Amino acid sequence: MTRSFFLIAGLLLFVLPGRAEDLSSAGGLEFFETRIRPVLAEKCYKCHAADSEKLKGGLQVDHRDHLMAGGDTGAALEPGDVKGSLLIESLRYKNQDLQMPPKERLNAKVVKDFERWVADGAPWPDEPVPLRDSAGHGEGFDLEKRRSEHWSWRPVIRPVEPKVSRETWPRQDLDKFVLREIESAGLRPAEEATRRVWLRRVYFDLIGLPPTPEAIESFEADFSPDDYEEVVNELLASPAFGEKWARHWMDLVRYAETYGHEFDYPIAFAHEYRDYLIRAFNADVPYDQFVTEQIAGDLLEGPRRNPEEGYDESILGTAFWYLHEATHAPTDVLANESDIMDNQIDVFGKSFLALTISCARCHDHKFDAVSTADYYAMTAYLHSSARQDYPMDPGRGREMAREQMAGLKQKADLMLEAAGMAETVPSSQREGVFEDFSAGEIPEGWSSSGAAFAGSGQKVGVRFNSESPLSIPGTIDSGLFGKAQVGSLRSPSFTLSSDRIFVKARGEKVSVRVIVDNYQMTKFNGLLFKGIEINDIDSKNEFKWMTLGGNLDKYIGHQVYLEIVDSGDGDIIIDEIRFPNGNAAPPGKVEAGEDFKVSEEVLAVIRQGEEMVTKLSKPRFAVAMAEGTAEGAQVHVRGSSRNLGEEVPRRFLTALGGGAGDRLDLAQQVVNSENPLTSRVMVNRIWHHLFGRGLVPSVDDFGPMGQPASHPKLLDWLASEFVEQDWSIKQLIRQMVLSSTYRQSSSSHPDVSPGALAEVDPDNELLSRMPVRRLVGEAIRDSILTVSGQLDAAMYGPSIPTYRTEFMTGRGGRKSGPVDGARRRSVYGAVYRNFLSPFMLTYDVPNPFGPKGRRSVSNVPAQSLVMMNDPFVVEQSRLWAELIEESEGTSTEKIEGMYLAALGRPPSGEEMGRVQAYMEAAAAAGSDAEQIWADLGHVVLNMKEFIYIY
Amino acid sequence: MHCGNFSKGPTSRREMLKKGAMGFGGVALQAMMADQLQASPNPLAPKVPHFVPKAKNVIFLYMDGGPSHVDTFDYKPLLEKYHGRDPREVIGELAPTQFDNVGKVLRSQWDFKQRGESGAWVSDLFPHLAQKKVIDEIAFVKSMTSKFSEHTFANYYLHTGSGLQGRPSMGAWTGYGLGSENENLPGFVVLNGGLVPPGGLDCFGSGFLPASYEGSVFLPQDQPIANIKPTEGQPDAQRRKLDLIRDLDQSALLESGFDPAVETAIRNYETAYRMQTSVPDLMDLRGEADSVKKLYGLDSDFKNTQTFGLQCLLARRLVERGVRFIELTCPGGNGDRWDQHRNLLDGHNKNCKTVDQPIAALITDLRRLGMLESTLVVWAGEFGRTPFAQGTDGRDHNPFGFTVWMAGGGIKGGASVGLTDDWGYKAVSDRFEIHDLHATMLHLLGVEHTKSTFRFSGRDMRLTDVHGHLIKEILA
Repeated sequence: MTRSFFLIAGLLLFVLPGRAEDLSSAGGLEFFETRIRPVLAEKCYKCHAADSEKLKGGLQVDHRDHLMAGGDTGAALEPGDVKGSLLIESLRYKNQDLQMPPKERLNAKVVKDFERWVADGAPWPDEPVPLRDSAGHGEGFDLEKRRSEHWSWRPVIRPVEPKVSRETWPRQDLDKFVLREIESAGLRPAEEATRRVWLRRVYFDLIGLPPTPEAIESFEADFSPDDYEEVVNELLASPAFGEKWARHWMDLVRYAETYGHEFDYPIAFAHEYRDYLIRAFNADVPYDQFVTEQIAGDLLEGPRRNPEEGYDESILGTAFWYLHEATHAPTDVLANESDIMDNQIDVFGKSFLALTISCARCHDHKFDAVSTADYYAMTAYLHSSARQDYPMDPGRGREMAREQMAGLKQKADLMLEAAGMAETVPSSQREGVFEDFSAGEIPEGWSSSGAAFAGSGQKVGVRFNSESPLSIPGTIDSGLFGKAQVGSLRSPSFTLSSDRIFVKARGEKVSVRVIVDNYQMTKFNGLLFKGIEINDIDSKNEFKWMTLGGNLDKYIGHQVYLEIVDSGDGDIIIDEIRFPNGNAAPPGKVEAGEDFKVSEEVLAVIRQGEEMVTKLSKPRFAVAMAEGTAEGAQVHVRGSSRNLGEEVPRRFLTALGGGAGDRLDLAQQVVNSENPLTSRVMVNRIWHHLFGRGLVPSVDDFGPMGQPASHPKLLDWLASEFVEQDWSIKQLIRQMVLSSTYRQSSSSHPDVSPGALAEVDPDNELLSRMPVRRLVGEAIRDSILTVSGQLDAAMYGPSIPTYRTEFMTGRGGRKSGPVDGARRRSVYGAVYRNFLSPFMLTYDVPNPFGPKGRRSVSNVPAQSLVMMNDPFVVEQSRLWAELIEESEGTSTEKIEGMYLAALGRPPSGEEMGRVQAYMEAAAAAGSDAEQIWADLGHVVLNMKEFIYIY
Repeated sequence: MHCGNFSKGPTSRREMLKKGAMGFGGVALQAMMADQLQASPNPLAPKVPHFVPKAKNVIFLYMDGGPSHVDTFDYKPLLEKYHGRDPREVIGELAPTQFDNVGKVLRSQWDFKQRGESGAWVSDLFPHLAQKKVIDEIAFVKSMTSKFSEHTFANYYLHTGSGLQGRPSMGAWTGYGLGSENENLPGFVVLNGGLVPPGGLDCFGSGFLPASYEGSVFLPQDQPIANIKPTEGQPDAQRRKLDLIRDLDQSALLESGFDPAVETAIRNYETAYRMQTSVPDLMDLRGEADSVKKLYGLDSDFKNTQTFGLQCLLARRLVERGVRFIELTCPGGNGDRWDQHRNLLDGHNKNCKTVDQPIAALITDLRRLGMLESTLVVWAGEFGRTPFAQGTDGRDHNPFGFTVWMAGGGIKGGASVGLTDDWGYKAVSDRFEIHDLHATMLHLLGVEHTKSTFRFSGRDMRLTDVHGHLIKEILA
């Protein structure tokens, strides 16, 4: 049947070669493409296309020839004959036995469209007939073919440095690649920029701040052989370097501190990730390590430690996964999870690989070598992971206290045993029990973070709580090593099968919750999730059965896990977790040691341990990922979480090897030197930030829909250089900014005719001069604070709340921060999704919804209004004027000082004359000296030279 | 150029070149100028539509929270008959609702009558709109649907055609497609009555489109936007400073090699300066007759009617000034927007009292001034409400079928298309989605929705994504 059907299809194509063309009047085809094909694709392809999982009724509707050949019930289409076309009959829904699509009748208008299309002869463009292969997949998607054809998938091969005729021009090897293209185009490089222009350029590019007048003077006077290099080294070593480059990364990972949506709930501790980035860039953490940490920093056996405070740095990188937006009360929690994962994979794909993996969510990628199975295999990593508020341990005090207490406990337990305490736990397995912890240790498959949770063993021992000094065998106890320890405990994930979960426990100030499909918003709003989370339990010092229930019945059949969080000065002893078996909650176990008197000697040891934890500093948390239960993921057919397809295991993209394993294995495949994307993408990003335009301009998309590389060889040379230099970002930057390319003026060489330039390279793709660039919003604000002398260079810590104008209304608004942002650098300003800083938005600081490696550069009057009338700018002008007024010197010297501070140069004679004329006119109009200086400061901040670098 | 002879007018690149400062020949000069003109286009300059537009401007009346269609325009006698019954018994299986607190079938709290020559059913909630001369201008779509039953997703969807945060709003797309006719005002103005919808200002964002297309939020008060009021005490003090800035900026032009972006940035200061005048001028109602103010309800005894009346009047004034897309949000204090999960009676009474008279006035006034035929007025919430109660006296969100309406440019007044089922629960005939609303709005503006695209993230993005059909039945 199938075979003969294909024969017919082939024949039709053969005998009617001119047919499609005859019909393809432009209007008819457009009608088809806009009104017919989308409906076919959306409503019919699932069952009637070359790549349908199962072809229904032997009919394909993805080509006109297939429709005319028909399926089990005969020809579906007779072009021109509306009544005679079964396709139309089925859409009309009049025939009880022939109704398509089976579950929903199409809108009458859509049916009319089909009638018109058939009546018009069913125009269909001339295109290959999609055929089913033996595996049932369409030929339209050939991953291997695409991988072999598109440039970015090919291995990085270090090219030979090209020959150039201006042999003395290159200072760095990379210059040869640039020069070669310039010369090939018959152009020549621009002249060198003046020292002050270069200095200002390199300051903003490396640290995002203007050079101080002292720095300018010292550089202008320094003509040592290493003059330029010394400046670069100094800037690379400056703490401000990390503050500038962290912000670039924050654009990629849609960094924000609230979840957006209706109430803009906070993403607590997000700033720890920002600080992690600043430290990582300053420490020049090799990029492969940096990437590994973000993907799987929680899984590293030897994590990177903070050099001062000893805490685990690597795990902090994983926060990037969880900076997504989120809503409360989704009526379809699974669809909500799918949307969040879509965003997580989009950020992962674009940031590290410049790949639009998320385009394969609903169908195989339209253009790139990414299949839908690839996409869902990536979601499996997310299904296999859990979000946690990770307790950091600065000074490693908590870890060390626990280690020392473990020693004390051993000693005290022996003393107890010697005194005759011998209660042990009866092992038991009863029906309906999820976990009874009878082994007295954290069971296989459960995971814990922090130093709080510990198994109590199978014999009674001490716990470090003098009011309740005996442990309960066969439990998990977050207070065993003192109440002040913090941590969390997660169960394996499982498919929920009951409407209640009983937890037998004793404790206080600890949360017990069910996480459904990774939904995390119940702590803010219980709507639709009532009763699945118990916060701040208080069992009044005795074991009690607690019930997780409420809305849980809605989520039977969903994937869930339990999480117990001890984030403060409380504790919990968990004895048993079970599902309802009938209605009765089971009787409690006999509790040990109730009337056993603990000797003073033992109590002394316990108090010794207790003292250790009371001295601990306040707990500090960070958003992080934790390993959950390894799971595969089901393909969502056509992107719908209600339409589940085959299960795929977690693995990396087929086109990049497709290796299996855990998240750490994934990270290693991302940074593997065989992977041609990771190094290319990052060197391109750095190039983009320094030269204003990436060698691949579409920095987040190296796919077929992105833009091709202007200098493919240079890209590969840089990528291989990057890897050879142990992925050092600073070394790469050093090479770029010390190059002759970077040292060019922004005006083309006087010998190059503008007409020729406009003809050959209108967009300066060949870099025969440096581009003129506007400063980013952060640099503008930070520069204002710098010249006004107000900048507070303090680093790190919680963000400064956004200053709220009266125009920033809406739900979830926070208290306004100070208008001057506490004078801190802009990177420390809060990012509230629904209340973004208008100043920053005006200057194109991106909305944090997805990766944005290339900011837009708008140029609008609203920016002028900000600089003219914004209270922050006006106030800083006034503060600057105070500084100037107080400084020594004549008014000419003061004006020179202002120019130098703000623009990096002294004024020309003409400019000085114009400024002085202004001051006289202002004085004549009645302004006092204070006002005149403030106004003049305001004028200088409004000069274009202040916000543009050449 | 530093000759001490600073020109007074805005010095354009063209003038600089004419003065011969660059010292190169005529041919090259012309080539560069042509290049120049292409390189720095004003993103808001008017553009040529795809075909002759029916409307030039849009006023989008956004009914934040989701008005109840079965209490306003979608008359369902069956609700009366089955009032108080269990909806699961009489309606059948119900989809999950936002609050999962399903009560009984709830009849409309207001009487319905047929109005005007068209005979459109309108409840007593809208006495002004129900007047013959007004109601017959309106065309109803009674079978609109949304994909989302949560406010935020549904708001993004209504505004941007996507449930995700951060996509361009329809007003931004309109500016992108058509540009603006007024240099001194933004092309997309949101007149904020007090409530920013759930989802925040991103409902009015420009997303991946350039920031210049973003909605500017105006408050109906003397100073409607931030930074519009000069901080200098005397007006000529600011002018003096701006003159100095312009003169000193000549060095930036020279040093940057006459970079087009620098040139545009200089030019922006002049526009910004004029905006400082044009915006207060917009807000200055002294020229409006008392009868007009009264028509809009500026003398109403209900404060929210005054506020929304002022918004409607300002919307008309913005249209007069060539602003392309104007969106109005609702004043607060009416019981959490239109979102009457409880206390439907009081909430809808207040909400309707707020908007009824001003909207009727807007239509009347636009027609009086001959502007109605070129102005598209759209009334829509993000979804409707359930025909059964939430609890006892509210209604929950209902994205499966609800009513929106349009009037003005290119609209067939008195028309109605689509039906919900007998309960008003789900659209059953001529089911439309938000993409269709967007396609129709763009169509009326002369923009073919499939052709207005912007390359982003490897795709040619559209307001209507890959969807959208014209709602032809309501087109004139």
